[in-house]
Amino acid sequence: MATEKQVMVIAMDDSPHSMYALEWTLDHLFAPFGSVQPFHLVVVHARPVPISVLQLAGPAATAEIIPMMEIDLKKAALRITEKVKDLCNKKSVKEVSMDVMEGDPRNVLCEAVEKHNASVLVVGSHGYGPMKRAVLGSVSDYCAHHAHCSVMIVKKPKT
Amino acid sequence: MATSEKQVMVVGIDDSEHSTYALEWTLDHFFVPFASNPPFKLFIVHAKPTATSAVGLAGPGAAEVLPYVDADLKKIASRVVEKAKDLCISKSVHDAVVEVVEGDARNVLCEAVEKHHASVLAVGSHGYGAIKRAVLGSVSDYCSHHAHCSVMIVKKPKIKH
Repeated sequence: MATEKQVMVIAMDDSPHSMYALEWTLDHLFAPFGSVQPFHLVVVHARPVPISVLQLAGPAATAEIIPMMEIDLKKAALRITEKVKDLCNKKSVKEVSMDVMEGDPRNVLCEAVEKHNASVLVVGSHGYGPMKRAVLGSVSDYCAHHAHCSVMIVKKPKT
Repeated sequence: MATSEKQVMVVGIDDSEHSTYALEWTLDHFFVPFASNPPFKLFIVHAKPTATSAVGLAGPGAAEVLPYVDADLKKIASRVVEKAKDLCISKSVHDAVVEVVEGDARNVLCEAVEKHHASVLAVGSHGYGAIKRAVLGSVSDYCSHHAHCSVMIVKKPKIKH
């Protein structure tokens, strides 16, 4: 029986931590295996919903801004998709799919795991301390507790 | 340098099924598919609790119990080591190193990462909810925040309803 390839979902936002996590994953979990990729890689970008971003901006933000934000967010998603494709090409990783879903990254990632039947979810970590975590929330923490598969937290080393 | 040094993966184990599952999952996903040439060097680390810390929870009058507790812990540790070794051999992984270090699991695992320059630390997860974590503490949480390398938390799947 041909073994089905395992699926690895990797979270991607617009931060250097995500890029680092993707690069680390490609270097450590794909490159050493040469031409036979051990996992099918699905890169998931959680596109924030404009309303949620507005709430952070405060009362001064008005509804007129929403269409502009949509455009901005779409552009960001495209830019991220490009960067991901370039990085994967550079590392000769061919079996990659990109999935852009709208919503809160915590839910988006856990749903992506279910949707793709992933065996591993890889997330970067902003390295927030306990204060920032309490205020901003931690996607990697949430996923580590709620995703239905193994979760790998890739940390950018502090220099 | 032409020859790439093998990356090091540390797997933390205790006496629970979650650890055994984590070790097995790790072997299945990162070692078995690569047969004779696995990309990682595996160190399996068992943190043996100190007798005093185990007894500390029990209360006063515990001093006489210490030697028994210690003997018990030693027995548990060797059982854990045997299980780990058997599991590795059953998956045809022959160069895994199993270590028993005395101390609190949180520190033992983070130190093992430093000592072996590991690039990945894999730990199981007891799947405690928020309250239990607050009371019992969570080694996987601590490690994911404090280890100086990527941390993989392997979860035993809950029975799907």
